[in-house]
Amino acid sequence: MSIMSYNGSAVVAMKGKDCVAIAADRRFGIQAQTVSMDFQKIFEMGPRLYLGLPGLATDVQTVSNRLKFRLNLYTLRENRKIKPKTFMSMVSNLLYERRFGPYFVEPIIAGLEPDTYEPFICSLDLIGCPMVPEDFVVAGTSSEQLYGMCESLWLPDMNSEELFETVSQALLNAVDRDALAGWGAVVHIIEKDKITTRTLKARMD
Amino acid sequence: MALASVCGLPQFAPNSGSVSSRGAGFEALDNVEPEFYNEPKFTLPQVADPAEYLKQFEKEDSDVKIRFHHGTTTLAFKFQHGVIVAVDSRATAGPFIASQTVKKVIEINPYLLGTMAGGAADCSFWERVLSQQCRIYELRNKERISVAAASKLLANMVYNYKGMGLSMGTMICGWDKRGPGLYYVDSDGTRITNYMFSVGSGSTYAYGVLDSGYRYELSVQEAYDLGQRAIYHATHRDAYSGGVVNLYHMKETGWIKVSQNDVKELHYKYQDEKNKK
Amino acid sequence: MSERYSFSLTTFSPSGKLVQIEYALNAVAAGAPSVGIKASNGVVVATEKKQKSVLYDEQSVHKVESMTKNIGMIYSGMGPDYRVLVRKARKIAQQYYLIYQEQIPTSQLVQRVATVMQEYTQSGGVRPFGVSLLVAGWDEDEKKPYLFQCDPSGAYFAWKATAMGKNFVNGKTFLEKRYNEDLELEDAVHTAILTLKESFEGQMTEDNIEIGICNENGFRRLTPAEVKDYLASIA
Repeated sequence: MSIMSYNGSAVVAMKGKDCVAIAADRRFGIQAQTVSMDFQKIFEMGPRLYLGLPGLATDVQTVSNRLKFRLNLYTLRENRKIKPKTFMSMVSNLLYERRFGPYFVEPIIAGLEPDTYEPFICSLDLIGCPMVPEDFVVAGTSSEQLYGMCESLWLPDMNSEELFETVSQALLNAVDRDALAGWGAVVHIIEKDKITTRTLKARMD
Repeated sequence: MALASVCGLPQFAPNSGSVSSRGAGFEALDNVEPEFYNEPKFTLPQVADPAEYLKQFEKEDSDVKIRFHHGTTTLAFKFQHGVIVAVDSRATAGPFIASQTVKKVIEINPYLLGTMAGGAADCSFWERVLSQQCRIYELRNKERISVAAASKLLANMVYNYKGMGLSMGTMICGWDKRGPGLYYVDSDGTRITNYMFSVGSGSTYAYGVLDSGYRYELSVQEAYDLGQRAIYHATHRDAYSGGVVNLYHMKETGWIKVSQNDVKELHYKYQDEKNKK
Repeated sequence: MSERYSFSLTTFSPSGKLVQIEYALNAVAAGAPSVGIKASNGVVVATEKKQKSVLYDEQSVHKVESMTKNIGMIYSGMGPDYRVLVRKARKIAQQYYLIYQEQIPTSQLVQRVATVMQEYTQSGGVRPFGVSLLVAGWDEDEKKPYLFQCDPSGAYFAWKATAMGKNFVNGKTFLEKRYNEDLELEDAVHTAILTLKESFEGQMTEDNIEIGICNENGFRRLTPAEVKDYLASIA
């Protein structure tokens, strides 16, 4: 039993036209036992900047807190909003500090650049290797299922409504093939002057 | 073996060595598949004691996994109007959900039901053999087999393969001269009878619901609801159970299939009921 | 040596002054003049580099040094102390880049270098730096030039234009008269040279002054040939 799938999780982020989406399931379980269905795996790290943390639940909370700590220091010291790319480096740096005893999380970042509002998504492995693709990123115990869904559903230049539908269907149908993730889902659609957060009605088994 | 003798097949197993002595004209029959004969035949490891040899793979830390885990929730209980059988429908391979539409109630004959937990192939195969044996019993004795006898046939069959990796936990439910019958049989050779059983990874959750809602005097509707609720709650908490709830009722006149409800609909139905209170 | 006592040399006098810092500032005020001017499209820093003998090879050691692609600095005061700070500043800039994969903003570099300078006023076994720095930078995000001064105390200031070192009061007075907001970099270089010239003794040549400019293309030291051209256009 891998420690990465001890609690179960699914996170996905997608690029659209002038918008990005990030979505996650809400299960917190201990192996086969589902303990709660309102577990937070996506964290707001700034206006138009979100962080998804699938993996070991205790590390999800530790990493989110430590990143918020570093980010707050950054914004105070530099007196400016962080760029998603810079935040990615910050995450990468934090994770690599634990190269020989890693946090068991695979972070996903989704956001818009502060000045240009250009969409940005990326994912990192548990020791901080970043990957910045043009279409979508997935992570968690359902990552294989998510890849399958995203590869078939994603299209370039989707508007915010299309993006919401696509990311929601991708997540819901992916976790329906994963015993360890699901039990509800939350979706954030990030646009220039609007953030929409929706919880989805899902299978609860 | 009537067909076999018409065809001129020998009565013994094809690999017994004496077939070739019958002459060249019969050599082709050596290749007849074992299913053609009455008794099931399996290829076994070519060692002196196959059971002893296979034991090494039974251990938890064995690199070769013969004993694979199958998540499930199944339950059955007796009450004043017969036996209720309820099961989920999920099949998993590790964390991957292979199917949400598995039939885990095996309809042995109109008066016997078996449930499926553990290896799907083991359960369905041996309960098929059981159904054949039961039919032969009926033909020979001109009366239906008792639940006790049927369950014992199954227990004896799997006991012959003890330690060789069979994996099944089943409940044999029926109605005979003695009234409703309910037996638990597993691949270790266990065979016990009681008024209530639940088997599988979600069984603990099901027991919780059953124990809090069970009475022998339950009405038919109450019993249906209890069985369905117990499975639903198990699918909700257990990652390896899910899909739909298949519900059967064993009556004096034989079994009926009561319902098949998707867990998704049940969840929101039960939640609405909770919110109204 | 399991136990050691080490006290800071920079201790308060009864009147509340840290005289070591004042002495350091005196060392700066006695040092070679430097001047910096922020223009609309860049910054210029210039300093005097007079050698005591004609035998010196003027073009092998420099007072203008770059920290990153977009940031450079000069100093007034003690040359060896400056080298230490340059090394520390470059390291700070690279550490920042390692963490964020982004060039350090000028204000951040200045703040962190100033922190180092402050530490040398409060630590045991060390003395304050005998230099004031002029840091010129270009911010790629804001598309804006920056000019900072960094003192031995750890205090730092953002300037439109300033002068340090010998005769800095005259230099500043000169700049106050000459400076205006929409100066362009070319004119700012001229003004910087003229400011140095105010107190310059002897003939000013491309070998006894050094100039650094910073604009959207980054920071660079002017070549002796370029300096010569500027001097020619003034005379």
